[in-house]
Amino acid sequence: MIATNGKDTIGLTLNVWRQAGPDAEGAFETYHLNSVSTHMSFLEMLDVLNEQLLAEGREPVAFDHDCREGICGSCGVVLNGQAHGPDRDTTVCQLHMRRFHDGDTITIEPFRAEAFPVVKDLVVDRSAFDRIIGVGGFVSARTGAAPDANAIPVPKEEADLAMDAASCIGCGACVASCPNAAAMLFVSAKVSHLGRLPQGAPERDERVVAMVQAMDGEGFGNCTNVGECEAACPKGISVGNIARLNRDFVRATIRRR
Amino acid sequence: MSSRLGAFLGSSIGKKTLMSLTGLGLVVFLIAHLAGNLTLYADGTGETYAAYAQKLKDLGPGLWFMELGLAAMFVAHIALAFRTSMENREARKSRYRVRGTKGEANLPNSSMLITGTVVLVFLVIHLLDFRFSEGLAPPHADVLAPKVVDRLASFTGAAIYLIGGVAVLIHLGHAFRSALRTLGVHHPQYENLIKRTGTGLAVALGLGFVSFPVILFASPDNYGGRGAESAQVAPAEQEQAPASGSPTVPTAAPAREEG
Ligand code: FES
Repeated sequence: MIATNGKDTIGLTLNVWRQAGPDAEGAFETYHLNSVSTHMSFLEMLDVLNEQLLAEGREPVAFDHDCREGICGSCGVVLNGQAHGPDRDTTVCQLHMRRFHDGDTITIEPFRAEAFPVVKDLVVDRSAFDRIIGVGGFVSARTGAAPDANAIPVPKEEADLAMDAASCIGCGACVASCPNAAAMLFVSAKVSHLGRLPQGAPERDERVVAMVQAMDGEGFGNCTNVGECEAACPKGISVGNIARLNRDFVRATIRRR
Repeated sequence: MSSRLGAFLGSSIGKKTLMSLTGLGLVVFLIAHLAGNLTLYADGTGETYAAYAQKLKDLGPGLWFMELGLAAMFVAHIALAFRTSMENREARKSRYRVRGTKGEANLPNSSMLITGTVVLVFLVIHLLDFRFSEGLAPPHADVLAPKVVDRLASFTGAAIYLIGGVAVLIHLGHAFRSALRTLGVHHPQYENLIKRTGTGLAVALGLGFVSFPVILFASPDNYGGRGAESAQVAPAEQEQAPASGSPTVPTAAPAREEG
């Protein structure tokens, strides 16, 4: 595989946000990498940077990652102002260095939101999402043993839309890219994913009210329908889910007991 | 029920829902307001305009009722806008060094607070210019047209109304589609239609309002301005007198509350 610029290695200047701890003052530090293989992923490039830093006796850059194949939602940084970097439908762990050019400067920042406090460097605490899930992002009905396949009929279209919503990996890029640091895309994906399926439908009203309340309580912003969330979402979750969340919330407010 | 409504209105979605409803209400008002204003172009004397103003005044208490409803929509929309904007600022105190976009952010959707604030400042000036130019009571219908023309024929007047019109145009560029989405309207099949309708509305209303400072600044004499008054419109003014001779003519004022 040949890099788009015809070179297999590129030199980069990195401006990286360094912050020793949650309460420490953060600042940018500049690093130079001379020969980055264009076949690396972005996180592998950070690994190389960290090895270089360790060799120099300096503190490596902390960043979140786990699966490195775009399915766990652990990774996530903002590159040159874009959550997960320049590509659509791509987590930063799946972003490849061939996307960059020799001599590029990349500014790497953590996801910024009051609800996502920085733990260290590029690592942020996204447990606000867990707390939102904790108040209703599940099905509590006793389902007994695994039912036979197709015992509960689900219309194909609903199943597809539920699956689309369920593809949310909870990475938080929607919050990071939203000008208001709103979490509507995340919450709407969870609410749609469960509410569209027969198993999740009975708790639809309680779920949406509880999850929106929790979302507001965590200090996320209000949606202004800019749509940057959908564009930044590595799973391409549609803002149509947000409209559906709004409908669901109004409906639940009216008919909830 | 009331606690349920309170909880709804206290939530982020509730606030945005109310903003959307009031916003759409204000768009309806703007359409009516522009339609009324366009009567100014109907003749060179301002007679049609004065007649329209008179009709509004004749609504009597109905006019007050409409004005109060309108004021309530404005107050709710503006108060919620500032409140939610402040919350949004609180939600991200540390800014990104590099501000990027993946193509969705644009001038209208990123400047709602700014264009909205410009419209608010404009609104205050506009109300003082015309609606409250004679105190609380609506101004006389017959003096309104020359007043409008004179105001817009001046450089500062034209500049203020031009800025106001452009701010409305940009604000509406995002408003319609955003309001519908907040109200839960989204369908892949209709997204394009909604987008185009919103843009069309913004352009039609924006250009409509912008046309007044442009046209009246360029040729005030053709629309019964003071220049025209002294030149050839003196008779026209007399003709108007009977129509508006009645005591106070409330009028066009309400309708122009905000444009
Ligand atoms: S590390 Fe798992 S999604 Fe990127």
